[in-house]
Formats: sequence, C-alpha cells, structure tokens
Amino acid sequence: MASRLFVRRRDGRIEVKINAVGRAILKEAFVNVLKAEQDPSHQWHVSLNGPIDPSQDADNPLAMFSRQNEISTNAELAGVTVEDNFLNDAEGWAWLTTLQVALRSTVQSYGILDDEKWASAAAEVRGYVENLQQLLFELADVL
Amino acid sequence: MPSVKPQKISSTDTSLLVEERVRTEKTWNVLVWNDPVTPMKVVEVIFKKIFGYSNNKCTQLMLQVHHEGKSIVWSGARDRAESYCVKLQVAGLIATIEQV
Repeated sequence: MASRLFVRRRDGRIEVKINAVGRAILKEAFVNVLKAEQDPSHQWHVSLNGPIDPSQDADNPLAMFSRQNEISTNAELAGVTVEDNFLNDAEGWAWLTTLQVALRSTVQSYGILDDEKWASAAAEVRGYVENLQQLLFELADVL
Repeated sequence: MPSVKPQKISSTDTSLLVEERVRTEKTWNVLVWNDPVTPMKVVEVIFKKIFGYSNNKCTQLMLQVHHEGKSIVWSGARDRAESYCVKLQVAGLIATIEQV
C-alpha cells in the first residue's frame, strides 16, 4: 500500500510526508502563483483575473483588489511553509487554494478547457498536472 | 446627577419595533463552472469550507457541476454573491455571478 502524502495527526496538525522532488514541485507552483498575481506579463496572470460578473464591462475594483490580496496572501503563506513537516488548518488551506490556482492556471495556459483537449495534451504537461492533482486530492482528504 | 426616568413602552405599541421594509433588490446567483482537471474531492472541500454546507449538499453540488457543466451554489443579495464568488475564485474554482 502506498504511503499517504498528508496525514492528520491526533493533535490536529497535518503531517507532510513529501520528499524533495515533491517539495520542489510545490515550491515552483507557489512561487509562480505569487509571480503571476504581481506580473501582468506572466502567462498565468489572465487566469487569475477571470470575470466576476461577465455581463459587465468591468468588475467592482474592490472585489478585484480583495481577490488579488487573498490569492497573494495564500501563496505567501504556502511559500514560507513549503519546507515544514507539520501544517495547521490555515496553512493547509493556503496550500490547497494555491495549488488549485496553480492547477487551473496551468491547464488554462495550455488551452486544456475540456476533456478532449485533456486527452490530447502533451505527456509532460499531463504528468505535471497529474502530480498537482495527486497532491490536491490527498490534501483535500485531510482538510 | 439628574435622575433618568425610564420611558414606558406599552406592550401593544410595536410600531417602533417593527421595521417595515420594501424589498426591491433582485436576486443574484453564484455559479461554479466545470473544468476537466479539478479533483472532485477538492471541489467538495472548497464548498464545505466557504459555505459550511453539509457533506451531502457539497457532493450534490459538485456532481451537478461535473455532469451539467455548472451549478448555482448560492443565491441572494448582490454584495454577498460577489464576496462568495471572489472566495471561490481565490480557492481556484471558475465562478461567476449572474442576476436572476
């Protein structure tokens, strides 16, 4: 039986059992989300700025600022805890949301918007996406 | 120090206590859209965390997103709908609002 990547301990903490390769994947994802939020030329930037109300030409600036601030805060918290062996719930939530943003931004930047595009995606992209999916699935299981 | 005499309010005098409000606000929906890669379990956890729905309701909504392409996950006033939409987007889901 394969060992689990995240384990909920009796004291409430989430134990992270990820090796150096997995940590590097996480770190890259967290850093990219933070960069994408701050840099309009980053290929993920568009996916972080989807419409809130598509019927309007422009969304409420306060809501947009709130979104930008929360995404950055989560990515920063995930980034500073990426080497930790134990997480609390807030840190676990920051990891989950930042990883999910990274996953969706990755597939959006490669134009993978439906099952057909997913089936025909390059093996390298599929491998990266499947790594993120596994991390997300196992983290969600302990939150 | 001046003495303050409490004002008597008759138990039948409720005109000051009942707020009459004419509701003119329209309802807004928060929609979550399907994508081909987000694990189902992740969608359920995000719904539970943001809305506090039961496990059954989270599963129902997630399955509706998966099978029908979208689901209305919350309805109500515009400002709250916008806030929930932002929270869902911050959590990495594709979410929008629409007026009913």
